[in-house]
Amino acid sequence: MICRMTEIVNPSGLHGRPAAQLVEAAKRYQSKLTIRNVTERGEPVNAKSIVRILGLSASKGKTVELCADGEDEIQAIEDLITLIDSGFDEI
Amino acid sequence: MRDDNNHKEMLILRGEGVSDGVAFGNAFVFRAEQYVVNEEFFEPGNEDDFVQEWEDARHTAQVELDKVFSVLDNVSGEGRAILDVHKSILFDEEIEEMVETAIREEKVVPASAVSRVFDIFISIVGDSSDPLIAERAADLRDVRDRLLRILRGESSSDLSHLPENTILVANDLLPSDAAMLEKGKVAAIVNESGSATAHLAILARGYRIPTVLSVPKATVLINNGEHLIVDGHDGIVVVNPDEAIGSAYADKKSQFDKKTALENEYQDRKGLLRDGTTVHIGINIGDDREDPGYSSCDFVGLFRTEFLYMDSQQLPTEQQQFDVYRRVLELAGDKPVTLRTLDIGGDKQLPYMSLPEEMNPFLGKRALRLCFEEMDMFKTQLRAALRASVFGKLKIMFPMVASVDDVRHAKSVLEAVKKDLDDEGCPYDPHVPIGIMIEVPSIAAIADLVVTEVDFASIGTNDLCQYLCATDRDNAEIREYYQSFSPAMFRTLHSIVTAFNAAGKEISICGEMAADPLATKVLVGLGLRYLSMNSASTAKIKMELAQFTLEDAEDVASAVMFLKTQKDIVEYLSSV
Repeated sequence: MICRMTEIVNPSGLHGRPAAQLVEAAKRYQSKLTIRNVTERGEPVNAKSIVRILGLSASKGKTVELCADGEDEIQAIEDLITLIDSGFDEI
Repeated sequence: MRDDNNHKEMLILRGEGVSDGVAFGNAFVFRAEQYVVNEEFFEPGNEDDFVQEWEDARHTAQVELDKVFSVLDNVSGEGRAILDVHKSILFDEEIEEMVETAIREEKVVPASAVSRVFDIFISIVGDSSDPLIAERAADLRDVRDRLLRILRGESSSDLSHLPENTILVANDLLPSDAAMLEKGKVAAIVNESGSATAHLAILARGYRIPTVLSVPKATVLINNGEHLIVDGHDGIVVVNPDEAIGSAYADKKSQFDKKTALENEYQDRKGLLRDGTTVHIGINIGDDREDPGYSSCDFVGLFRTEFLYMDSQQLPTEQQQFDVYRRVLELAGDKPVTLRTLDIGGDKQLPYMSLPEEMNPFLGKRALRLCFEEMDMFKTQLRAALRASVFGKLKIMFPMVASVDDVRHAKSVLEAVKKDLDDEGCPYDPHVPIGIMIEVPSIAAIADLVVTEVDFASIGTNDLCQYLCATDRDNAEIREYYQSFSPAMFRTLHSIVTAFNAAGKEISICGEMAADPLATKVLVGLGLRYLSMNSASTAKIKMELAQFTLEDAEDVASAVMFLKTQKDIVEYLSSV
């Protein structure tokens, strides 16, 4: 299993569309993927579920930790972190 | 009951105007079904059938959403994004697993299972500390209600064939319902719930349908077929308007329609004179909403911060202010934002602070004077602003400056705050430009002396006029004495602008005069190149700028300098 942290940079945070995009990307991987709101000391939740991601309250400026466990874990983490860091085309 | 329409009692309801425009029409009251689902169980043995029912319902929901998509084909990307979110919720794997478990393990019928599982997430998301995320609970409810309706075997509520000039009055209009509305038929929307950041509001703006949200009890107070006027700008709904109100709003509507036609023409252009001279167009903002019009301006000439202090029950904390300032700076992107420090006084009361009751609040302990008294409050705001400065192009401006002493005092406080931040290792932009509002005659008179003490200044023409003419601008009895086009005003503007331009420092106007096309030519002629106004006025000012050359403007300004009365000036400006 590997984990990496990053900061939410898009202005509106992991709300509607960015959350949907993240889920869509996560579902492309076999690995078990979780995401956690580090800033608010939240529990890790399923990163392939939009309702869980919305429940994170991961607004801009919050730090999140992504963990992947499975055969394609390295690729999955790379991909999702890149997506979050890109700001979901909002910036 | 009287049944004559003309005699029905007029009623005025208020809410939040979220999509601009005025509309006349007849009410169509639409109450979304409130699906009250009791926990209902089935006899063990039919699990597979019930799971199949749930899967079928999701399939049907997907088909419906696709239909909505096809309607939305020509709509902005926003509408599509909203429906992407709905699909993602519909096929959410956590929801799927929980609903299936409830059906298989607990023998709960699908409707009860859907209701139970969605409600868990609706309350988690709805409780989010981030209002933007909390609004997404509406999308979860939307998908839940769609599924519950399908599970009851009912077809979708069809709002796509409403008669012309319908004003839809709903208790909880779903974004997907709104997406189905036929443009051109629905004249306006009135809804009991929701706010400016709701998806419903975004769609309404996209469709340009005047909309008022959060009108309590609208579906109870308004009857089907009643005549309504909706003012989406001020958030007003008039039920059974009388003739006087009707004709007042007819005027407002025709003005708005004209304005819209103009806006389409000039909205996204730059501020350019006919000869190509650039005039920078700024907007004044008073909150941190997502899009007050950043795309059609060059800068934010005035960011009023009073809302932070007025809309809360206690002094806003440094963190609350920091979050808001950062958000505004980020939304504005590479456009400079001029933050004006707290400008409040005895004419407005704060619930958590006792401000002195004064005989003349506008001449009293207000704005900077109050901040000097409440040093902790002042420093908190400056700390929050400086900390946010690394996220954009911040400028800080002090209001109600009356002397060079005031400027120096304010700057010394700012330096002290910077030193504190240095000691704490807190990052900020050390080069944040510092400026002043010029609105008190005693500072206007020494513009050439104060210019060396500041990086920029902005002229607040409303207060300047009030102080210069010694006339309370809110007193209708003496309106004729409030002369913003008086020779004294233009001469004062002339000396300020000349002093700042000579020193090579930025000078702007952020008062109402900047938004008055009658003044545009003379302001440019006096040497102003930065005009900041409410965003609704930028289009008309850009249009006005395109009508003349710099030479025309300078001729007009020179002529105005020698006219002796406001009447002469207004007549002259109307003629050129």
